Amino acid sequence: MGKYLLRRILQMIPVVLGTTLLVYALVFALPGDPVKAMFGDKPINQAVAAQIRAEYNLDKPFIIQYLLFLKNALTLNFGNTFAGQPVIDEIARAFPVTIKLGLMAFVFEALFGVVFGIISGLKKGKWYDAVILIVSLLLISVPTFVTGFLMQYFIGVKWHLLPVTAGNDPGFLDLLMPAMVLGSVSMAYIIRLSRSEISSNISEDYVRTARAKGMTNRSVIVRHVLRNSMIPVITYLGQDLGALMGGAMISETIFNIHGIGFLTYQSILKGESNMVVSIVTLLTLIFVVCNLVVDMLYAVLDPRIRYA
Amino acid sequence: MSDKNHQDDDMTDFAMNETSRSSVTSGTGTVLPGQERYVASLDETPLHEVDSMDESAPASNMWTDAWRTLRRNPLFIVAGVLIVFIVFVALFPGVFTHQNPNYCQLEHSLEKGGPGHPFGYDTQGCDVFTRTVYGTRTSLSVGLLTTLLVVIVGTLIGGLAGFFGGWIDAVLSRFTDIFMAIPMLLGAIVVLQMFRTSSSIWKIVLVLTLFGWTQTARIARSSVLETKNLEFNTASTALGSTPLRNLVRHILPNSVASIIVVGTTSLGSYIVSEATLSFLGIGLPSTTVSWGGDISNAQAILRTDPSVLFYPSAALAITVLAFIMMGDAVKDALDPKSRTA
Repeated sequence: MGKYLLRRILQMIPVVLGTTLLVYALVFALPGDPVKAMFGDKPINQAVAAQIRAEYNLDKPFIIQYLLFLKNALTLNFGNTFAGQPVIDEIARAFPVTIKLGLMAFVFEALFGVVFGIISGLKKGKWYDAVILIVSLLLISVPTFVTGFLMQYFIGVKWHLLPVTAGNDPGFLDLLMPAMVLGSVSMAYIIRLSRSEISSNISEDYVRTARAKGMTNRSVIVRHVLRNSMIPVITYLGQDLGALMGGAMISETIFNIHGIGFLTYQSILKGESNMVVSIVTLLTLIFVVCNLVVDMLYAVLDPRIRYA
Repeated sequence: MSDKNHQDDDMTDFAMNETSRSSVTSGTGTVLPGQERYVASLDETPLHEVDSMDESAPASNMWTDAWRTLRRNPLFIVAGVLIVFIVFVALFPGVFTHQNPNYCQLEHSLEKGGPGHPFGYDTQGCDVFTRTVYGTRTSLSVGLLTTLLVVIVGTLIGGLAGFFGGWIDAVLSRFTDIFMAIPMLLGAIVVLQMFRTSSSIWKIVLVLTLFGWTQTARIARSSVLETKNLEFNTASTALGSTPLRNLVRHILPNSVASIIVVGTTSLGSYIVSEATLSFLGIGLPSTTVSWGGDISNAQAILRTDPSVLFYPSAALAITVLAFIMMGDAVKDALDPKSRTA
């Protein structure tokens, strides 16, 4: 296990380096000169421009810029935005909100996805199975932003059940609807995944054996069927935890939440390359770590998988 | 010569021994009364009718089997009819409406529907029905072209990684991991910023492909890895096949099922992604008629006139739904494991 963990962590290094390099290359290939943009309509003072370029390492070749960025990133020093704010401060302000939102969405999708998936997988063919299936198909085929608008309109504006938008420092109730919107598509996928896993596992030989041994229905379902069915679901959930942080963009835009997604979107539009690269680096790290944790969880769930 | 003859004799001897020995054992077994073995006469149980095989019939394979399963699946029929209809609308939008989707008159702004304009008008006074009909082509093209490219790129990279293994696999798999670690929407926005001026749908298709191929590559890799070690490949190698011939004749045809399944299912998600990018204002320009763009325009008037938002959203949802259902049906037909359930 320790050896496997070490190998996996070593494998993460090229992935993180590659991803940051790719994003760095993409962001700095963006058209437009940020230094020129700083002067606005005023004539460009060449001396000042050169000084700014030197400050942001823009005068150096691309690969040196990238290496300098990496060196500073190791000490969590992501430099300043072109507007003069330290990048790390802005991220530190936005991150807690997105973490809160992401975790709420995660709990929402895991809880409802698994519960509805189990219900519909065990009672295949019943009317509520059909209802669950149709609702999950609808959630997948309607884009998140449409689901978001509709929920905002009905729950927030018409019925006044939940706040319409979340402002600064949002609380639990402010984030409830955005979290549901953010988690809705994944919830639908989890329902479908657990349903098909359960219904295919329930006809396996080991289930028949367990029943033949005289196990009660309850323990056959809980100890054999569910335990085996949850492995792919946990993989999906683990990958999704990382993706939720990046996917928060839509729901943060609709509900006006000043989190990471909102910040990223604004930074991309404003051409704040430093900010974009820093955020994507952090998100990649989260994503890769989540995947690693999922792989470790496998061994706990499935005794057949043992990492040498 | 004599040696060979001798050998032949030996073999006949051996064969004769075998037959005589077996006849002896069956002959010497004493059958006590009541222990006779009952053998039904063929006249009573015409087994040959059941077991007979029509040898002139064409050989059945995975694809004909799958097709037979598909034809009986109501899900497939519903999805198939929907998709044929959607493709027809995309190819011949002029059959359904005689108007130009870009012909808008402000005097009609937000007018309710009437004869010839069943869905009413949007803020700009454009006919919502006409725009919904013409938007089909954009969404469908984005979905189909992206799926096509994703399948080609993903199969190529995943297939090569799985087939060669070793350091090629290590390099290609890390390469896939790198692209997989970038959230699709985030990456797409960054890249699309560079092509703001371009109005062709190809920019969306290429960007979605750039960040979408990883899933197909992973599935292609594991599928090729799985097929590579099956007995028929060893048999084919033993018969003198080159690895390349194995790849083309045996491994690819047997891996293609799972790739088709993931392709059909993700087609819908590309259509949704295009709409999402248009919603964020960095997708297709407003001159291109698209459901995503129309939905995002209708967002502003959601509280006063929700129907303008409803129609393009419904069209989008039905299209995506059709492809998801098709993916489910194809999966049931091609995956023998899920067929039993």
